[in-house]
Amino acid sequence: MRIIVILGRVLDPAGITINQRAGRIFVNREEYVIQPADRCALEVALRIKDATAAEVVVLPRGPLPDDDILRQALAIGADRAVYFTRERFKADEAVMVRLLEAAIDRLGGADLVLTGATTLDSGQGQLGPRMAAALDWPQILDAWQAEVVDGAVQAVRQDGTGYVTVEAALPAVVTVVPGAVKPRYPDGVRLVNIYKNVGEIAAALERWEVTDLVGVDMLVPLVERRGQDFPPPRERGVRLSGAPDEVAVAAAQALQKRMNG
Amino acid sequence: MEFALNEEQRMFQNMFRDFAAKDIAPHAEEIDHEETMPASILSKAANQGFLGATLPEEVFGAALDGVSYALMIEEVARACVSLSVVTAAHVSMVAMSILEAGSDAQKAEWLEAMSAGEVIGAFALTEPDAGSDAQSLQTRAVVDGDEVVLGGVKTWVTNGGIAGLFLVFARGAEGIDAYLVPQDTPGLTVGYREPTLGLRSASFNTVYLEGCRVPLTNRLGQAGGGWDIARRAQDRMAVALAAAGLGVATDAIAVASKYATERIQFDVAIAHKQAIQEFVANAYIETEALRYLVYRAAWLSDQGQSVSVEASTVKAFAARVARNVTNMMVQVMGGYGFMEDYPMARKYRDARSLGIIGGPTEVHQLRVAQKIFADLDVEIKL
Amino acid sequence: MDFTLSPEHQALRRMIREVVQNEVAPLAAEIDRHHIVPIETMRKIGATGLLGVCFPQKYGGMGAGEMGYCILMEEVNKVCTSTGTNVGAHIGIGAMAIYLDGNEEQKRKYLTPLARGEKFAAFGLTESGAGSDAAAIRTRAVREGDSWILDGGKVFITNGGYADTITILAVTDPTLGARGGITAFIAETDWKGFKVAREEDKMGIRGTSTAELVFEELRVPHENVLGKVGEGFIIFMKSLDMGRLTLGAACIGGSEMAVDSAVRWAKTRQQYGEELAHKQSVQWKIANMATELEALRSLVYRTAWLVDTGQPFSQLAAMCKLYGSEVASRAIDMALQIHGGLGFTRDFPLERGFRDARIGEIYEGTSEVQKIVIANNIFREHGVRVRP
Repeated sequence: MRIIVILGRVLDPAGITINQRAGRIFVNREEYVIQPADRCALEVALRIKDATAAEVVVLPRGPLPDDDILRQALAIGADRAVYFTRERFKADEAVMVRLLEAAIDRLGGADLVLTGATTLDSGQGQLGPRMAAALDWPQILDAWQAEVVDGAVQAVRQDGTGYVTVEAALPAVVTVVPGAVKPRYPDGVRLVNIYKNVGEIAAALERWEVTDLVGVDMLVPLVERRGQDFPPPRERGVRLSGAPDEVAVAAAQALQKRMNG
Repeated sequence: MEFALNEEQRMFQNMFRDFAAKDIAPHAEEIDHEETMPASILSKAANQGFLGATLPEEVFGAALDGVSYALMIEEVARACVSLSVVTAAHVSMVAMSILEAGSDAQKAEWLEAMSAGEVIGAFALTEPDAGSDAQSLQTRAVVDGDEVVLGGVKTWVTNGGIAGLFLVFARGAEGIDAYLVPQDTPGLTVGYREPTLGLRSASFNTVYLEGCRVPLTNRLGQAGGGWDIARRAQDRMAVALAAAGLGVATDAIAVASKYATERIQFDVAIAHKQAIQEFVANAYIETEALRYLVYRAAWLSDQGQSVSVEASTVKAFAARVARNVTNMMVQVMGGYGFMEDYPMARKYRDARSLGIIGGPTEVHQLRVAQKIFADLDVEIKL
Repeated sequence: MDFTLSPEHQALRRMIREVVQNEVAPLAAEIDRHHIVPIETMRKIGATGLLGVCFPQKYGGMGAGEMGYCILMEEVNKVCTSTGTNVGAHIGIGAMAIYLDGNEEQKRKYLTPLARGEKFAAFGLTESGAGSDAAAIRTRAVREGDSWILDGGKVFITNGGYADTITILAVTDPTLGARGGITAFIAETDWKGFKVAREEDKMGIRGTSTAELVFEELRVPHENVLGKVGEGFIIFMKSLDMGRLTLGAACIGGSEMAVDSAVRWAKTRQQYGEELAHKQSVQWKIANMATELEALRSLVYRTAWLVDTGQPFSQLAAMCKLYGSEVASRAIDMALQIHGGLGFTRDFPLERGFRDARIGEIYEGTSEVQKIVIANNIFREHGVRVRP
């Protein structure tokens, strides 16, 4: 069985300071870590691997300036990692899905795709559903845990009242919520060897040229980023005072007024 | 110039030393571990007259002069720095403030009981947002008929956990007022006790005042006169804490140098090693410099002079010397200096504390600098 | 000259930070307050492979060298000196002696489980009458057939209360003294005749075990002699050399903690209407702390590089410990002062840091011993053999 884990990177939150008064973020230590939800997805994959001896292959969820997080994933326990390279390429989810689909094809197919349900920085969660649509596989979103039982994936999700277990036939796509599982630490020996490029593990990191996977015409993003802006400042609230009854009435009226626009 | 102690002072010194060695030192380690100041030790100190040390004989005080009082604190601190701080806060900050500023009725009500150790005094000045910066006090005193209502939070109240009487500073209509608040007054709650690095037998508490009513007659001194009372109390306390620093430094040298004569390394007692000699000699030199600075400040106060700058000078210096000396003496004792089964670790923790309680060293440095520049007509702002 | 950290060491630091934040930081205050040795934490750290950080992979280590070990010590001590001390005693002197002088069989049998963190090590040198003066050791070892019978005891043994494997220095020939008469042994602590007599109550590093050990007819097989009979003193001194360097690294961690907390406090605490950061007396303290910290960092990592490249380092290692412990003590003292009353309460980590830092100038050879070593080395180069 082959499990694909798609993961991305994010600036390590421990290395930044937010100065609220200045309205600025100071980067004290520019270090990138695997997106927390993606790391949970990797952990879920490794647990399935522990139980079923599957092969875990990691792929990037977006263009990366270097292969650091793929090495991190290999140190943690992934069997193989593929790094997409090209001089410069821009990609949104649509482009990435085409690339990933081609990569999975070149790997010889897969039985399960796992990825994070959301990203810490931009808060996007499109990749999982888009992959499922492109591959035409069933999907389970926002899982807390997942295991493979008799050719199907069983996952635990939260609904309005509690936790439910849902099942999808393999192959399938599952997205995992951040904090769902406690991810394991890197293994010391694997970590040293992959970063030193020595031992068997050094061969587990492969570089594939983007244009070998898809045609250049497929690399045009649908979404263009033109800049960024802060949200408008929040309106100041109203402080109500008086007896509880009066405050309740005044609060209800204020809410009604706001809802009516 | 006369540098010798007079006969009476020498006699007192011997008496204090005997008492501290016999009745306090044997308990010092235990009460530090248990972080308590047992009533049995306080009553022994009271029987010796320590808790009314500088109060007059009419109220059953010991009527010690300033120098003798410094000698007393020094000797107590040699055995147990915590007890010296408890005693100094009780005597120098609370009892002496009542003696200086109190009405006859207030003196009659409190001073005998304080001399006898039946009532321990606590000094409530510091607040969460006013450390040594007493000018920005938030606690309020609102007069209501012939009563006053106190509201606010005090932190780091020395003796808070064992006190029967709190000297509380609050902002009234005419500035800072001082009030005598008995511990059982409704609205006064003794709260969180700070777990501390050193001085673990002394208690430093947060005290909450919520609608705390006392009769107007409990005001110490004039309305608006509280700030002056606080400053004078702090000056007296600074000299007393310096004497405590002198005591702990003196004893640390005695303990460590004895150890150096017994500890054999490389076939000789380490006392023969120059490194050890350097530590002991430097510690002694600093301690002797401190000794005369302490006695001089005490002597000046006996002459009825204002000792504000001298108090800050000697407090800042004492904190430094006590810390340096105990630090060096820990080093002389090596691993044994680090073990809590030997007294040096406690002395080191206690000595470090003297740089922070009673106003951190930086505040005292500031006061000295203010004085220096004031003489040159330059005002240094806070 | 190249001062950048290699990619594997950068990745290692990131990994260590994660492990330390999750496993060590949450317990740091508790183990100090209640005097608990965090053995479970040690097992968790061990499970990641970090307790074998500097040992070769063929003995269960990570193979990240002395540089990697220094990074581990820095990062752990930044958060908890007690845990750092447990780690240091285990790797830096306990297991290190076996790594440096053990034969292949001893390394396979003893070093491997230590490197994997499955077992813990201690280093049995100090006696009540003999600390850094190894010639005054009284523990005796007498040959009896294929074994040695050890009688005597050790004091102040870090990890002594829970270690599985301990190296012990004992006198095998009283006529020969330190050079020739002292031998190092590897013993297992569940052997008959090994007893933990008591645990010390210490001012700081209270989450460590500092034990007094007693050996009564402790039978050690001859194959457990570490190195050659009579060479124990030299073997132990070599481990101490390495230990000194990593204690310097530990002091980087302690100093960093002090600087970080002082800066954080100075930028938030208001006094006299402005943040403490605007007071020169605070600025000066922080500038001094930071300068000394950087000097220490350079010294320590340069020495680690000397070790990893096989160059002589013992002089610099003594300097690392001497200077490191002074820098850490000063930094924590200044940070405490900047915090005022809050630095003085046990609710803030600085109070713990202050008590913990004091041991730096004492254990594994006091500052005075380091000065003796340094002066010795200098005078030897000039043809003079100085007396201690």
